[in-house]
Amino acid sequence: MEKLLNEMSSECKPAYSVNLDVEYDYQISENLKRNSYLGLPNIAESDLLRHFINLSRQNYALSTTFYPLGSCTMKYNPLINERIAKFNEFNAIHPYQAQESMQGVLEVIYKLEKDLCEISGVDYFSVQPVAGAHGEFTGLLVISKYFKSIKQKRTKIIIPDSAHGTNPASAALAGFDITPFKSELDGSLSIEKLKEILTPEVAAVMLTVPNTLGVFEKSVLEISKIVHDNGSLLYYDGANLNAVMGIIRPGDMGFDVMHINLHKTFSTPHGGGGPGAGPIGVKAFLEPFLPVPRVELKKSKYILNYKKSKSIGKIKSFFGNFSVLLKAYVYIKSLGSVGLKNVSEQAVLNANYMLAKLKNIVDVPAGEKCMHEFVLSPKSVLKNSVRTLDVAKRLLDYGYYAPTVYFPAIVEEAMMIEPTETESKETLDKFVEVLIKIILEESNKCPQKVKDAPVNTPVKRLNEVEAARNPILKW
Amino acid sequence: MDYTQQNYKAKKQMLDSIGVTSIDELFSDIPKDLRVKELNISSGQTEQELLNSFKRLALKNKIFTTFKGAGIYDHYIPSLVWEVIGRSEFLTAYTPYQAEASQGTLQAIFEYQSLICTLTGLDIANASLYDGSTSVAEAVLFALRMSGKNKILISSLLHPEYIQTVKTYLENSKAELVVLHQGADGAIERTVLEANIDDNTAAVVIQSPNYLGIIEDMQMLSTATKSKNGLFIAVVNPLSLGLFQAPGEYNADIAVGEGQVLGSPMAVGGSTFGFMAVKKSLEWKMPGRIVGQTTDRDHKRGFVLTLQSREQHIRREKATSNMCTNASLNALAGCVFLAGWGAEGFVNLAKTNISKARYAFNKIKSLEGFKVKFENKTFFNEFVIETQKNIKKINKVLLKNNILGPLDLSDFNENLANCLLFCVTEQRTKKEIDKLVELLAKI
Amino acid sequence: MNIPQNLKYTKTHEWIRVEDNKAIVGITDFAQHEITDIVHVELPEIGRTVKKDSPVAVIESVKSAFDIYVPVSGKVIAINDNVLSNPELVNQSPYEQGYLFTIELSDKTELNSLLNAQAYQTIV
Repeated sequence: MEKLLNEMSSECKPAYSVNLDVEYDYQISENLKRNSYLGLPNIAESDLLRHFINLSRQNYALSTTFYPLGSCTMKYNPLINERIAKFNEFNAIHPYQAQESMQGVLEVIYKLEKDLCEISGVDYFSVQPVAGAHGEFTGLLVISKYFKSIKQKRTKIIIPDSAHGTNPASAALAGFDITPFKSELDGSLSIEKLKEILTPEVAAVMLTVPNTLGVFEKSVLEISKIVHDNGSLLYYDGANLNAVMGIIRPGDMGFDVMHINLHKTFSTPHGGGGPGAGPIGVKAFLEPFLPVPRVELKKSKYILNYKKSKSIGKIKSFFGNFSVLLKAYVYIKSLGSVGLKNVSEQAVLNANYMLAKLKNIVDVPAGEKCMHEFVLSPKSVLKNSVRTLDVAKRLLDYGYYAPTVYFPAIVEEAMMIEPTETESKETLDKFVEVLIKIILEESNKCPQKVKDAPVNTPVKRLNEVEAARNPILKW
Repeated sequence: MDYTQQNYKAKKQMLDSIGVTSIDELFSDIPKDLRVKELNISSGQTEQELLNSFKRLALKNKIFTTFKGAGIYDHYIPSLVWEVIGRSEFLTAYTPYQAEASQGTLQAIFEYQSLICTLTGLDIANASLYDGSTSVAEAVLFALRMSGKNKILISSLLHPEYIQTVKTYLENSKAELVVLHQGADGAIERTVLEANIDDNTAAVVIQSPNYLGIIEDMQMLSTATKSKNGLFIAVVNPLSLGLFQAPGEYNADIAVGEGQVLGSPMAVGGSTFGFMAVKKSLEWKMPGRIVGQTTDRDHKRGFVLTLQSREQHIRREKATSNMCTNASLNALAGCVFLAGWGAEGFVNLAKTNISKARYAFNKIKSLEGFKVKFENKTFFNEFVIETQKNIKKINKVLLKNNILGPLDLSDFNENLANCLLFCVTEQRTKKEIDKLVELLAKI
Repeated sequence: MNIPQNLKYTKTHEWIRVEDNKAIVGITDFAQHEITDIVHVELPEIGRTVKKDSPVAVIESVKSAFDIYVPVSGKVIAINDNVLSNPELVNQSPYEQGYLFTIELSDKTELNSLLNAQAYQTIV
C-alpha cells in the first residue's frame, strides 16, 4: 500500500526552491494575513518521485493494456502528438498576446475547425468547449438562441433513453424540458413513437449515431425529415463518430448541430478523466450564435473576432483547451483523408470480429452486426448469481481493463465493448478467449473466484457502499 | 500514417469469421447515396514530416518575457511535475471507473482534494472542474440550487471573461445576475454590497486578488453577505493563499478558482483546471467527481469515485451538473506542484511573488509620467499604474525588446483608460524588471 | 417479502400508516431490497405542503437514485432524522426505524385510492 503524502511528510527541505534576487518585501496588514494552518507536506524530491511513479504503476492504462471501454474510444494515443504539444512555442504563449505574435496558434485553431467541418459535413466549428458535455451544453444554447432570434418558443428536447446521461443533464442546464424517447429493445428508434412526442414545442432531437448499442440507426434520414418538417433541429452526439469517419457525415444526414469528443475519436489522451475537448459544429444558419471569439482569416492574417452580436457569448475563458486541440490537429495531419477512413473501417472490422466470436455464446440484444462497438447481455448465460460486474472485475485479474458495464441502461446486465482500430487481431483473440472462459467456465465451475475478483490488482474489491455511507473525502 | 495493425492476411481471416467478403458489407446499413467519396483533407504525413511542419508552425508564435497576467500566469513548473504528468499510466488512463485498476489516479486525486482543502481552509474539494471561469459558473449554479433563491451578486472586478461565462451559463435560468460596481479605490465596497443584497440573494461572488490585482476585504464582504443569509463564493488565486487569508478563515461557503498557477503551462489559456472546495454540509450537492477513501475485502485502504448518485450518468437531467470529463491530469499537476513546494516552500513562493511585484511597483511608480492608481491597497503579484504616456507606444517598444507588456485596461473600464495592469511573478528576474523600468523611462 | 397487513401501499412502493389525521410514510421491504444498499436519503423540509404522487424525497444507492412519491396530499410535519445520518436503517427496518416522514393529511378521501396489503402483494 502506497502511503499518502501526509504520511510521508518529514522535517526536510521542500523539493523545489525559488530564486529570489530582490529584497524580501512581503509585510501585509494583519487583517489580510493567513493565520490558519497550511497542511502541505514536506517531502524530498526523490521520495516524491518514487511516490508518484509507484502510484502510476497502480493504474491500468492504454499504454499498459487493452482497454475495451465501450463508448470511450480508448485508441492508441500517438506519441508524436505529445511531443509536438510540448513545444515551448505553444506552451509558453499567453492568451492575451498580440494576435500577430500568435499566428501559429490561430492557424491551428482555424485549420482544425476547417478539417472538422470537412469530416463532419457541417459549415462551421467552434473549438471553445472543453468536454463532450460542455459541447452539448454549448450546442443547446446555440439552438435556444436561434429559436429566440426567430421568435419561436420551443422548450423541449427529445432524448432517447439509451443516450449518455450528459445529454439530459446538458439540456436541463440549458433550460430545456426533457422528453424521453423510449427506444426499442434492440436500441432502434420507432418513427411512430417519435411522431407522438414531436410536438410544436420541441426545439431539437438529440441522437447518438451509431447509437449506444453500436447500431447505425437505419431510419435516421426519415427521422431527420420529420424532425425538420416539425420545425425542430437535429443534434448529433459525436461520441460515436469513430464508427463513421470518412464513411458518412452527420451534416449530410441532416444534423444541424453536433459535438465531437477530440479525446475519443481524435486520439488525445484521457488523462485519467481530462482534459478533453468538445468542439461543436453547426450548419451555416447557426454560425452567428457560436461562442466568441471566432478565429477568422483576413488578408492572409489570422484574427480573433469578438464582434458577433448574436453570439451566445463565452462558454469558458480564452479559446478552449488549446493543448488538446493541437494534439487532435497533429493526428488529423498524420492520418490524412485515407487514414481517417481507414480508422473507421478497422474499428468496425475489429468490433464485428469480436462480436462474431461472442454472439453465439452471449446474448446480443441489438443483433448480429454492429458498428464500432457492441453490447452484450450475459445475464442468461451467467450461472450461480454471478453478475456482469463480477465478470468485469475478473477481467482485471487477467490484466485487461474492463468494458463499460451497466450502460446503456436499457440492456440488462449490459457489457459494452469497443476495441477501437488500433488493436491487433491477436489482442482481440486473447481477450475474447479470456472473456468466454470467465463467462462459461469460471462462472460455472468456480463462481466464488469470479465473485471475489479482482485479486491480482493493487487492492481487492473495494467497498463502494462504505465509501458513500461514511464519506472520507480527504486525509 | 495511421496506427491500425491488421495486415491483408489478418483482415481476410477476420472477414471470414464474420461471414462477409468485404469491409464495405459491414457498412450496409448506411445509406449508399450519402457515402463520402473522399474527404478533402491533405494526405497523411510521417512522423518526421509532422515534426518539421509543426516546428515551422510553432515558430509563427513568439515567446516573450512576460509582464502580463490577467488570468493566466507565467510560473515556474518544476521538472517533477513534467515527469509525473508525462507518465503514460496517468496520461492514457480513462476516468477511474474500475477503481481496483485505477488506484494510481484515485489516490493522487484524493491527495489533490486534501491539498486543496488545506489550501482553502474548507472541508470538501471535488476532483477538478474545467477551469477558473467554469468553476465560478458551477459555483453560482450550486448556490442557486442549494438556496432555492434566485439572485446572484457578482463583483464587477471578477475576470471579465469569468463574468461573461457566468452570464452564458445563466442565459436560460430564472436567476437574476446583479453586477456590483467597483469603488473608487479599485475594490468592492460594503455599501455597494449592502445596497444590492436582499433576502432573495442566493450568493455573493467576489474575486480576490481581483482583476486589478487588489486583495479585497473578504472578511468584511463575507460578514455582510451572511447577515442576509447569502452564501459567500470566494474566487481566489491559490498561490496567494500562501500569504493571504484562506476562504475558510473568512467563512466562505464555496471557494473556486483557476488552477493553472499550480503547475500547468500558459498554453494560450488551456488546458488548465478549476478547483472547488466547500463546507462539509454541501457535499451531497456538489458538482463534479469526488474521490473517497474506503477499504477492500482484506480491509486494506483504497480509493473510489463516490457520492456518484449526484452525477449525470445516474441522475440524468436531475444531476448536480452535466460534467463528465474534467481536468484530471492538470489537477494531478497541481497535486505534484503543491506537494513538492511543501508548506514552507509554498509560503516562500508567495512571498517571492509579492516581493518582486513590489520591487517593480516601487520602481515604476517613481518614473516620470507614471503613478499609482490605487493608493493604500494591497496587491499580490499584479498592480495598476496610471500613465500619461501613449499606451500603444509603450507596448510597441516593449515588444521590440521581446517583452510582453502590461495589460491595457481601457477596454475593461473606461475610468481606467490610462491604466496598465502589470504582473510580476517569481519567474521575472531583477535584471528583467530593471530592463522593463529602463525602457519605460525612455518612452 | 414482508408486507404488513395494517398498512396502505402505492404502486411506486411507498407505504403509509394512518393515525387520525396524520400518516407516516416509508418505502416497502420490496423497494429497499431492489434498491440494495442505501447510502443516502434526502427528505422534504418540515412545513412543506405536498401534493399526492409528487416526488418529495430521494433514496440513493451507490449506482442509482430513486424518487419517492408522497402517497397523499398534505403538510410535512416531521422527518426521520435518523435515516439522514444512518441511511442503512431503511434497509434494516423499512417499516419501523427506517420510516421517512410524517404528513398531516389534507384530504382523507385520497386514502381510498391506495392499495391494501393483498393488492400490493400482487404487483411485487
